[in-house]
Amino acid sequence: MGCLIIILLTAVLGLYMAWNIGANDVANSMGCAVGSKSISIKWAVIAAGICEFAGSVLVGAHVTDTVRKGIVDPTTIASLPGLAQGEAPALLLLGMAAALLAAAVWLNVATWFGMPVSTSHSIVGAVAGYGIIAAGWSAVHWGKMGQIVASWFLSPVAGGVLGFILFKVISKLILGRKRPVTAAVTIAPFMVFFMMVVITLAVVYKGLKHLTGEGAEWITGNGAFLVAAAVGLLSALVARLLIRRALRGKEGLLLPEQLELVERVFAPLVVVTSCAVAFSHGANDVANAVGPLAAIVDIASTCTVKMRVQVPAWILMLGGTGIVLGLATFGYRVMRTIGTKITQITPSRGVAACIAATITVLVCTRMKLPVSTTHTLVGAVLGIGLARGLAAVNRRVTRNIFGSWFITVPAAAVLAMVFFMLGRAFLLDYVRDALLRGASGAG
Amino acid sequence: MSLIKELFGKSPFGPLVEHTKKVHECVKLVEPLSQALMKGDHEEIHRLQDEVSRLEYEADLIKHEIREQLPRRYFLPVDREELENFLKCQDKIADSVEDFAVVLFIRKTEMHPDLKDDFAEFVGQVLKVSNTLTDAATELQILAETSFGGAQATSVLDRIAGLGEQEWNADRMQRRLCQKIYSLEADLDPVTIMFYDKMFQALSRVANEAENTGDLLRAMILKG
Repeated sequence: MGCLIIILLTAVLGLYMAWNIGANDVANSMGCAVGSKSISIKWAVIAAGICEFAGSVLVGAHVTDTVRKGIVDPTTIASLPGLAQGEAPALLLLGMAAALLAAAVWLNVATWFGMPVSTSHSIVGAVAGYGIIAAGWSAVHWGKMGQIVASWFLSPVAGGVLGFILFKVISKLILGRKRPVTAAVTIAPFMVFFMMVVITLAVVYKGLKHLTGEGAEWITGNGAFLVAAAVGLLSALVARLLIRRALRGKEGLLLPEQLELVERVFAPLVVVTSCAVAFSHGANDVANAVGPLAAIVDIASTCTVKMRVQVPAWILMLGGTGIVLGLATFGYRVMRTIGTKITQITPSRGVAACIAATITVLVCTRMKLPVSTTHTLVGAVLGIGLARGLAAVNRRVTRNIFGSWFITVPAAAVLAMVFFMLGRAFLLDYVRDALLRGASGAG
Repeated sequence: MSLIKELFGKSPFGPLVEHTKKVHECVKLVEPLSQALMKGDHEEIHRLQDEVSRLEYEADLIKHEIREQLPRRYFLPVDREELENFLKCQDKIADSVEDFAVVLFIRKTEMHPDLKDDFAEFVGQVLKVSNTLTDAATELQILAETSFGGAQATSVLDRIAGLGEQEWNADRMQRRLCQKIYSLEADLDPVTIMFYDKMFQALSRVANEAENTGDLLRAMILKG
């Protein structure tokens, strides 16, 4: 009974975090499509909901793994000397709950003060914070932490470099040509191919185990490359057909008219690529909400600290559902304001930014690194700005990105420390009893 | 607060093209002003001078609006200093047209019959320079869309390349006109000569500033 209450409480907290992510962050993923007026707000919300959910469930397990056992190793806590029976799982459980609560509280505090905040940074800081209090500095996997922090720096930079290159390609090979219309028919399908291969690989390669179980190795192994190539080829062919139909016979038009047509051809592409960003956002960020939950469910259902290999699919679905709920209840409004603020993004810029962000975030996701999709997207946009693709880009946001690292991580860590110490002082016995009763009941 | 929402400023290129067009509207009045001058229609000059002055003021408003919406925190696809100089220079074209209108307005100067043909030719050449610049500068928005490269940039640069020679021609015509004035100095009173000189100077400035504006446009396109 006690265990059930604990699971329910953390599930509600996780759902709340997911709701927050859906309400505030998802709009950024669809920003390019909405800002360039390539899709209506209503359809953007629907498409983002589907893609976020799919990303969470299909690829969300990797980063979730990092949050639940990659930053603080549960076995370090289990092997602490002098623990009573059932105390180790109780500590872990309280710690993860404290981390989740800290991340959620910090999210609200930061939003209240009008500071940009990344849920990824909050949760990483919070989990590390509780780990330090629970078992000292050595409880934190500093190697992993180093990787994560490096990825926070590298993901916007990689997004920027990719955005720069992709936009240069678009501008040199399509927009800068004498007949942009003809060039678009040739070049755009390659970009579609490139993107679809990356997405398919991110989903399939050495993944999907939590859904298919064992026995699907033919597709998750080297077969994944074949599947990705096939999917990429098919999408590219379809794209080529559609683009050619839209642009046939328009080669004789004046240059500005051709450019406008090309932008219009890019409009469906920017919708697709924005959906890809939403997908990768779901894949990376669902962990911020359900990572601690996954750890807690594991402990509370087995009453031991041994972590299961797989993240249960229902937890990812819960996270995905929370994100979709946030999007449906609140994201609508955020999406509308974003749409009015980033009208400078034309479809051609949007495609470059979105492909850059998708690739960067998905690669990080598969490396189990929790990164900020928003920061990556900002990096991509700055890259396009450096490629002379945008009329006026606010360079001050880079300062905000650094601020987000330097403030959010310690703040979330300190909050988690406080919550954990309070929990340990007042709730440890209760939780331990609940766990022990649960264990004997199950046994 | 969302980073994405803060990320973008307003594009200056739309308003810049508006400024170009406003200045050009101003320059277009040089033609009716000169005709009114040759006809000695002072009422018409009065009316046109008012209009020039209004257009110049409106161009000023656009100029200030562009400056205000470009705080330093925004980085642009072109050099900020060159953009500001371009704007300043383009604004001087309108100022020079206003100077010309004022010279015609403050004194009823008559155009000597022997000067009329050369004067018309000179005015035509000045307008030609300004037209070339306007054609190139109104492409700024499309240039921004093609990230200042490729076929579009090449075609604009080609157009600007003609400006120097056109302006040089205008200068030559002005010199010829001046020579002619002094050959007629026996027939003309000194104040009239002084006012002729003021007119030609103002018109010459229109062509000159148009050429300089074109140079800055080229610099903006070539380096970001």
